[in-house]
Amino acid sequence: MRNSMKVAKWEIRRNLKNKSFVIGLFLTPILILGFSLLGTLFDDSEEPTETTVFVNDEIGVYDSLQETVDQFDLNWILHQTDLAENEIDAELENGENAAYIFINNQAFENGTIPVYTTDEIDSDFSANVQLLAGPLQQFRISQLDLTEEEIAVISGDVVFDETSAEDYHAGEEESVVTENPMEKLVPGLFAGVILFAIVVTGMMIFQSASQEKKDKIAEIILSSVTPGELMQGKIIGYFVLGIIQVAVLLAFVVPFAVTKIDEPVLEYLFVPETLLLVLIAVLGYLLFASIFVGIGATLADMSTSGNFQGMVMMLPFLSFILISPVLNDPNGIIAKVGSYIPFTSPGVLIMRLTTLEEWPWIEIIIALVVLIISIFLFMKLAGKIFKVGILMYGKNATPGEIWKWIRS
Amino acid sequence: MEVMLTVEGLEKSFKDKQALKGISFEVRKGEIMAILGPNGAGKSTTIRNIMGIMYPDNGSITFHNHQGNEIPRNKIGYLPEERGLYKNVKVMDILLYLADLKDYPLDKAKERILMYLKKFDLEGKEKVAIDELSKGMGQKVQFIGSILHEPELLILDEPFSGLDPVSQELFKDEIRSLADKGTAILLSSHQMNLVEEMCDRLFMIQNGQKVIYGTMNDVKTKYANFKCTIHGRNSLAVLENIPQVQRVEQKDDTSILFLDKDVEPNSWLKTLPETVQIHELKINRISLHEIFIDIATNKNLIQEAGDLHA
Repeated sequence: MRNSMKVAKWEIRRNLKNKSFVIGLFLTPILILGFSLLGTLFDDSEEPTETTVFVNDEIGVYDSLQETVDQFDLNWILHQTDLAENEIDAELENGENAAYIFINNQAFENGTIPVYTTDEIDSDFSANVQLLAGPLQQFRISQLDLTEEEIAVISGDVVFDETSAEDYHAGEEESVVTENPMEKLVPGLFAGVILFAIVVTGMMIFQSASQEKKDKIAEIILSSVTPGELMQGKIIGYFVLGIIQVAVLLAFVVPFAVTKIDEPVLEYLFVPETLLLVLIAVLGYLLFASIFVGIGATLADMSTSGNFQGMVMMLPFLSFILISPVLNDPNGIIAKVGSYIPFTSPGVLIMRLTTLEEWPWIEIIIALVVLIISIFLFMKLAGKIFKVGILMYGKNATPGEIWKWIRS
Repeated sequence: MEVMLTVEGLEKSFKDKQALKGISFEVRKGEIMAILGPNGAGKSTTIRNIMGIMYPDNGSITFHNHQGNEIPRNKIGYLPEERGLYKNVKVMDILLYLADLKDYPLDKAKERILMYLKKFDLEGKEKVAIDELSKGMGQKVQFIGSILHEPELLILDEPFSGLDPVSQELFKDEIRSLADKGTAILLSSHQMNLVEEMCDRLFMIQNGQKVIYGTMNDVKTKYANFKCTIHGRNSLAVLENIPQVQRVEQKDDTSILFLDKDVEPNSWLKTLPETVQIHELKINRISLHEIFIDIATNKNLIQEAGDLHA
């Protein structure tokens, strides 16, 4: 173990002194932030477009319209106008982001209010203008000489209240507390980022093992440590590098998230659930790291990796294929099966636990047991492959050869 | 002399080919022991089995001076045949890492690194990255890495391959001085002249089997008979009829007469017939190089001599 730590320390130091690693370390969060900022930049460019809305009000509802505009915080500037419907031709032609609403008795009784807009108009305008229907409807009802009760009945909406069987039973025991989705999302996202970052860093193990062969230093190192110690050292070392990457990422993203999002992000993060999610992420790393280190040792040169090795490299990304079916139905058959397949289980578990209100503890425990047993098995296999592969020079191992090493 | 390493009855097979067929030898404190043999004879396989990088099918490897079954890695220095260093790290960093892996105190290691860099004409290169060094410089750094931690047993697989004569000389002197200070050294090499000059004992291997094993002097007197080289136009029949001549190799005007083992050069010269034309004459022992070539090409020179030994 002492030797493993020395190897780990060396891998960490070697990479931290490597310019391209350090650049990558800071480039990742900058890219992530950059893209999210770029997104908001585009949003911002649309936001300041104010719409000037001219109202030709013949029945005196202007004030209640103004109220509605204020209430929904519409980005409108409301003006009263005396222009008639047939006089606005030039205004429409030359204006920008302007609309003309004509509310007269005839239109009011028909229930169809004519609205004219310039060619260029805020994309949300047509949705927003429907909000004005509310106060106008109210106004129309109030004209009918009804009692207050009648008004209340008419203006009250009819809605359907749906309750599923599960909620029906739950409802008997306790009233469902409406949870804030962010509360679940933050630990899940956190664990997802950890999994992604350390698995990506873990891919460097692959490169490191194959580079060790290419540089022919493996045999020199193996005169001081056992192959098992070298392998463990690499797995630990790249784990720490992955965590460093996560830390740098968080150092950039968290302050940004805290200032930009109106939620107590940190409070949501420091909950017991985060621990389990992070544990799952770490287990996922160990699984992929042991696979990578074993396969890396079978390659003489990264650039000549064959189909077999390439397919193995894609294993961590299997979870991505499952994102949409799992998120659509976190308790569906795909999600459940995905939880039990070791290659997808870390990703699928994190997605499910993030979206599910009630955690299926039995499934979680079975999935974790399957995952831990697989890690144990893959570590053993990787050890066998690594021991032979790391000293085989000049050519890539074929799947047949790898199988023979495993059986020996 | 104290025995440091004993190898006994080592056997190892790859697929259907038996690479080692019962190799036995020992390495003693303060001596340079050479494993010689043509390519593919089993030299590196033997060494890798000793280093625990491969496991023998049969036979035992004993490190004396050491308790327990594990290989005392910290007391061994190893320079493998297939060797290299991490490319983008500094000379000092990699050497300190190698010393650290051997549990050698780092401050002492640092001192020794600087001392050796100076000795090998690499002074001031400690902060240079490995990939900026020439191949020869890199080999010097690898060599320093293998002796840095003052090993009791030093195993060098082809230490001279790829070195220029000046560096070869430098390595040779350093290896000799390490042996004089008490290090047990096991080395394999193709460079027969170097082996002949520096080794105390040798083990020659062919097809995974022992061919010769003994001290350099013994081997020379046992196997390396006298040979007489004559320049001049002579007929093969005449030369073959000279007493105590085992066989004659003739090429153009040069004839090499291989002589019996117990030949007395002085008296033998007197038996040369008057008719032999001599432009030039040379008597010397068969060199290790010739023995090696003979073994590698499966001539029976050694076996003939070996019969006498047996």
